[in-house]
Amino acid sequence: MTNRLRKWITFGVIVIVALAAFVLFNAIISGKCDAACTIGMLNQTLRYAAPIALAAYCGILCERAAVIDIGIEGKMLMAAMVAYAINLLAFVTLKGAGLDARTAGDASRVIALVSAVTASGLLALLHGIVSIRYRADQIISGTVINILAIGITGYFYRQFLAQDIPAGPGTFPPFDIPLLAQIPVLGEIFFTSQKPIVYLMLFLTFAIHLVLFYTPWGLRTRAVGENPRAADTVGINVFRVRYINVVFGGLVAGFGGAWFTLEAVDVFNPLMTNGLGYIGLAAMIFGNWSPIGALLGALIFGLGSSMTSQISIFRPDIPSQLPQMLPYILTMIVLAGIVGRATPPAADGQPYEKQ
Amino acid sequence: MSSIADQSARVDARAALLKTLDVLSMPAIAMVLAFGGGALIIWITSGDLGTVFAAYGGMINGAFFKTRGLSETLVATTPYIFLALAVSLGFKAGLFNIGVEGQFYIGAISAAWAGVAFAGLPAIIHLPLMLLASALGGAVWGMIPGYLKAKTGAHEVINTIMMNYIAFRFVEYLVSGPLRDSKSSAVQTERISRDAELWSLYQIPERLSDPGNALLVSILVAFSAIILARLILAQPRWTRVANRALMMWGAGIASGILTFIALPPLTRAVWLFTDQYDRMHVGLLGALAAAAFVAWLLWKTTLGFEMRMTGASPDAARYAGVNSTRTIVVTMAISGALAGMAGATEVLGVSICRCLPLFFSSGYGFESIAIALLAKNSPLGIVFGAFLFGAMRNGSDLMELNSGVSKYVISLIQGLVLLFVAAPLMLRALLRMRAPRAGESDAPLTRGWGG
Repeated sequence: MTNRLRKWITFGVIVIVALAAFVLFNAIISGKCDAACTIGMLNQTLRYAAPIALAAYCGILCERAAVIDIGIEGKMLMAAMVAYAINLLAFVTLKGAGLDARTAGDASRVIALVSAVTASGLLALLHGIVSIRYRADQIISGTVINILAIGITGYFYRQFLAQDIPAGPGTFPPFDIPLLAQIPVLGEIFFTSQKPIVYLMLFLTFAIHLVLFYTPWGLRTRAVGENPRAADTVGINVFRVRYINVVFGGLVAGFGGAWFTLEAVDVFNPLMTNGLGYIGLAAMIFGNWSPIGALLGALIFGLGSSMTSQISIFRPDIPSQLPQMLPYILTMIVLAGIVGRATPPAADGQPYEKQ
Repeated sequence: MSSIADQSARVDARAALLKTLDVLSMPAIAMVLAFGGGALIIWITSGDLGTVFAAYGGMINGAFFKTRGLSETLVATTPYIFLALAVSLGFKAGLFNIGVEGQFYIGAISAAWAGVAFAGLPAIIHLPLMLLASALGGAVWGMIPGYLKAKTGAHEVINTIMMNYIAFRFVEYLVSGPLRDSKSSAVQTERISRDAELWSLYQIPERLSDPGNALLVSILVAFSAIILARLILAQPRWTRVANRALMMWGAGIASGILTFIALPPLTRAVWLFTDQYDRMHVGLLGALAAAAFVAWLLWKTTLGFEMRMTGASPDAARYAGVNSTRTIVVTMAISGALAGMAGATEVLGVSICRCLPLFFSSGYGFESIAIALLAKNSPLGIVFGAFLFGAMRNGSDLMELNSGVSKYVISLIQGLVLLFVAAPLMLRALLRMRAPRAGESDAPLTRGWGG
């Protein structure tokens, strides 16, 4: 079977499964979701897909340079907490300095976003140092990041954020993209009333795709991921490429983390990332380590989540925990069905030692 | 000639000593550095050096010296031992079971279910049934990712984490739905009868006055005596003794009968544990037995050998004829069963209602990964590591009360421990120690997505 044929068959299976899921969904809610509601649901799908896709892009950037990153979840949790805390702090400070609430809110959200991304980048740097320089087991190192992030966010939350705190400026306001929103259906799904990180996610999909496959940097990254020894021989600095990719991945994951407290809700809860970072890794594997494929995977998970929330609206009699298990089960099915056919970068997970 | 032999023997002895010191010192240094890091963070966030002393003083006081401090520490140690053993068993076979938390939940709900479903049976059957249910539940939960890993190559790290989230929702659903105790206003499962719980040490004299319980204990004692006698008789100096089988069985049966006759009156006469609020229970003995079992499994059985071989080099194991599918599935099942039994000790020994409440959150799972790594997967090391983490967990309450430092700081410290343990090269660089010679480094613990 040729590779191309296999790809089409996989695609066909996905489409059929998606249609079956949709029919099942309509049967469960007995067809109460009309056209407008369906478009609303798909719009929500994109929203839910954003953090998953960003986590997947982080994974892609790291693993294309052969560094496995299990710590995405921890980085997102860290970014979510930092975004929330800085958003509050900056808002109070700026308002104290005499700015009006609207300007102060806009400014503090941007400051919060930058800080969150930086915090996530710093954790990524730690992962890089431990696993690249000190050649620790990469999966263990990622687990360290996760546990550290749970500890740090839990500590700061209990120590400072759990008491009565002033109201913050809230989340980013949604907006439409001027021309693209006019496109029928697709425009309503992708470019209407989304928030900035979602649009950024769409932009990054293509940006990362271009960088990885059409620039010298991308070629170097992929060379380091497939055969670091050969890359070293032709003069590529393997360590530098890995560090930069891991840190950039951390920054991207930081946007995904900021999504939780700057776009979804304006409160922080310990453990609020709920495993989305790991689901992002599943989306990455599903997309065969390419951003566009990963986006498709993230959209499938997003669809699962938005169906879950629709079911809980239309069928309150079903215990909410049962549909909530769906995305996780979906992840396992996808992994079981795809992994044998997916090919990770050849040197994935192996520390490099200069000779 | 002899002087050279002497010399080399002396060098060997010195190397062995250095190696032992090295094995012990790295975890110790990691702990010290982690507590140092924790102190730094407390100092910075509180702006007062005194808070650090108040916090750590409170922690030590709470863990060992306050009323029931030590016994509560041992209560917390019990699930840690089970869970860290589960994690380490996976590591030995090259599998990273992050799913022990979910297996713990499933074990707990299985025990709670069996406690209600088989209510009315005599305790001597009921209690083992509940333990069996918890082990089976955990084993199934561990087996699914194991099977997927072996058959499809789906990485167990993601799948066990997904199984964690599924377990949380599933248990939440069961506790608030089908298994909810309708007579109670709190959302929790039905109480398990007092007869069938894990005995607290305080109750032992009272329990033993029932001949059925005394019989159960005597059988367990006889069984352990047989194992112990076997171990002793396997020593070289005993090889020439005739009738070793007779001695073994004799020792077992004699100690069993002796226990049955003498132990109940003896415990009624003299008993150390007189505090009726003391929650320390026999689960700790079970955990120690589990540690012995894991050591035996890994180093004395074919299955254990196959596990270690698969962990060290899957390809070599396959060429040598090891059925890797079977090894992976069985390892994950045993690992899950150990984690599930930790859940049973929580329901049957610790929780005050002898049931499973909604929102029982343990957090034991992630921390036990740190214990397994700290102990370098050695069962004996795990027992000590679990005690240390149990002390931290138990001491953290008094720490929070005394110093106002959130008890979450211990998960931060545990993260730092893990960081230093996971990157031995970094620790050496920090301390300016020389790196180990090539070939001394440990086998890789985990593997990439390729399977």
